[in-house]
Amino acid sequence: MSLLDEVQAPPRQASVHRLDPRTVTLWRLTSALWWTFWTLSMLIPWAVWDWPLWLMAPIAALGVAWTAYVPAAQYRHFTWQVREVDVRVMHGWLTRHVTVVLHSRIQHVDTRQGPIERALGLAGVVIYTAGTVGAMVGIPGLAEREAEALRDRLAHLSGTDDAL
Amino acid sequence: MPSEAAAAERLDEHGRRLHPLTLGFAAVGIARQMIWPALVGGFGLGDGEIARMVPIVVIVLAVPALLGAAAKYALYRWRLDGDELLLRSGVLNRQNRVIPLARVQNVEVRQSLAQRLTGVAELRVETAGTGLQAEAVLSVLGIGEAQTLRGELLARRRAHASAAAPAADADGAETVVADAVHRPAAPPLARLSTWDVLLAGATANEAGVIAAALAGLLQFADDLPGGVVQAAADAAIERMEGAVVLLGAVAVVLFLLLGWMISIAGAVVRYHGFTLAVDGGEMRKRYGLLTVHEASVPLQRVQAIRVEETFLRRWLGLASLMIETAGGSPGQAGGAEAFVPIARRRDVGRLVRGIFGEADVDAAEFARVHPRAERRMVRRYLAWFLVLWAPFWVARWLQIQPGGMLAPYVAVFLPLLWVMARWQYQNRGWALPPGYVMARSGVMNRITWIVPDRKLQTLHVRETMFQRRLGLSTLVVDTAAGGRQASVVDLAHSTARRLLEELTVRARGARPAARPNDADQVPAGDAPPAPDQAPAPGRANPPLGQP
Repeated sequence: MSLLDEVQAPPRQASVHRLDPRTVTLWRLTSALWWTFWTLSMLIPWAVWDWPLWLMAPIAALGVAWTAYVPAAQYRHFTWQVREVDVRVMHGWLTRHVTVVLHSRIQHVDTRQGPIERALGLAGVVIYTAGTVGAMVGIPGLAEREAEALRDRLAHLSGTDDAL
Repeated sequence: MPSEAAAAERLDEHGRRLHPLTLGFAAVGIARQMIWPALVGGFGLGDGEIARMVPIVVIVLAVPALLGAAAKYALYRWRLDGDELLLRSGVLNRQNRVIPLARVQNVEVRQSLAQRLTGVAELRVETAGTGLQAEAVLSVLGIGEAQTLRGELLARRRAHASAAAPAADADGAETVVADAVHRPAAPPLARLSTWDVLLAGATANEAGVIAAALAGLLQFADDLPGGVVQAAADAAIERMEGAVVLLGAVAVVLFLLLGWMISIAGAVVRYHGFTLAVDGGEMRKRYGLLTVHEASVPLQRVQAIRVEETFLRRWLGLASLMIETAGGSPGQAGGAEAFVPIARRRDVGRLVRGIFGEADVDAAEFARVHPRAERRMVRRYLAWFLVLWAPFWVARWLQIQPGGMLAPYVAVFLPLLWVMARWQYQNRGWALPPGYVMARSGVMNRITWIVPDRKLQTLHVRETMFQRRLGLSTLVVDTAAGGRQASVVDLAHSTARRLLEELTVRARGARPAARPNDADQVPAGDAPPAPDQAPAPGRANPPLGQP
């Protein structure tokens, strides 16, 4: 049995999860808020320097296109799994990322919830390691209960040894 | 906290003071702070009432500062008690600090020139906290006292560490290494002769120093009233233009030469008498001409070693070694510090073994990244080239500027782009010797990372849009080192996936396993891991993110 087969053997092939579907709504709302902000901010040069008001139109159009497409694309590409030895987070629409965090390297685990997330009943999980770039690995957009369960499970799996 | 109250009591009874010269140094420090405002104020305002007030104001400010310093000295107490270092400082705001020796990461004895002449030293103690300031700065102690205290701190910490259950030691591997290396009066791992230090300075690629020297000299030449340079230049202009060009060239060379000299002198001042020893799980360095640095770093804290070879040094068979440590260390930003400023290429393996024990760097065979990496780099350079030249093309098209000279440039640059890409490709590589990950890249400054499996924190594979089109991936290996990570750019997609799996297994195996040598073994597998192997062909590779 090769190393690769051993690693990918069925018992370790933990199920791959997607985020809660409401995450698309969350991201769409966030995106819509941002693009509204940018569109409205064009009022400032209009008021101060008399820029044409129609400049808002292309920004608004871009915002609508972005809000319609990107959150859904990001959702499609976001998956995570808790395997026997590690947590894997796969995400990215244009640039794809796979992040592997070994249970033994987890320092602590948080759940996070913003105002929109609270309204939607969602929460995110953030995994902290002692690393630099991968020091914070996030899984946003889980159902509240699921997030808490995941947090507790990861905290339990992480064990107690000093991960430095 | 009750322990702090107890600590205060213990300090009252047996606390020790700093060296009396602390007062002298404090006075000098205050004088130095005051002298500039006094001078600037005095001269800037010229004669008059206000100017005469300045010295009085300075004195009025200096006196309370001196009294404060005296009170601080009189009330400061320190004590080494059991396995704790106790400190009490402050005049109005009293501060009692308890530093458990088990938490001490770094003890440094530092001596400035003035301190060396007066036989005192500063002792800095750092713990695992990521604060920029050392947890304890005992400034100043008699040099003998400082040395003894440092030895005592390290010895007690070591005793504490070995008293703890071995199973609780997350880095059992290093403890083993330390024991193996530990013997009375271990010979230094590295010692730099004056010649070595000169070589380090001469080969340091310090363009900044050169530029600074250049700027400084230009300033200087400008200030010379009717200076020699000006006269010579005038004479040359009268004779012929060629002479001016020649003079300019000579001047540039002279400036560069001076910069080079400054770089050499800088290296001597910094690294004179460099010795490095590994003893009892600790790496100890001592170096410096004017300010003598004496630092010790626990091997446990070393996250990775970086071998840096600039173009010049590579050509001369030289390299410099850096270590990446967790958290900061006194006076060092970003967690990276020189481990050995200059070393012969053939000694690198031995030096790395001195820190990591079993790592066999010399035997590691590097596998290259995917050949398509070269194509990606050519495209990338081409894109830059086009972006940079676009304005000229547009200008020519709009007939703003005639552009007849473009074609030769393109003819020269395009092959050069290809050569650069080829060099980049040839210098990139990775290797997986047992227990370690190695990654190498860079042409002008080739950097080789050596990361122990047990220090891996997270593993990361990344693919940009352009990489995906070529079937390439970037593997990033994250440790607790501050700032930089080892990465292998443009691996074949399948190789990156395979390495991700293999490193996951290795990183996991490296921790609970008591023996570091077994780090690469798969718990239940009988197949040997396949290190140093070229990209495995023919593996089905699902696109990332779509398992």
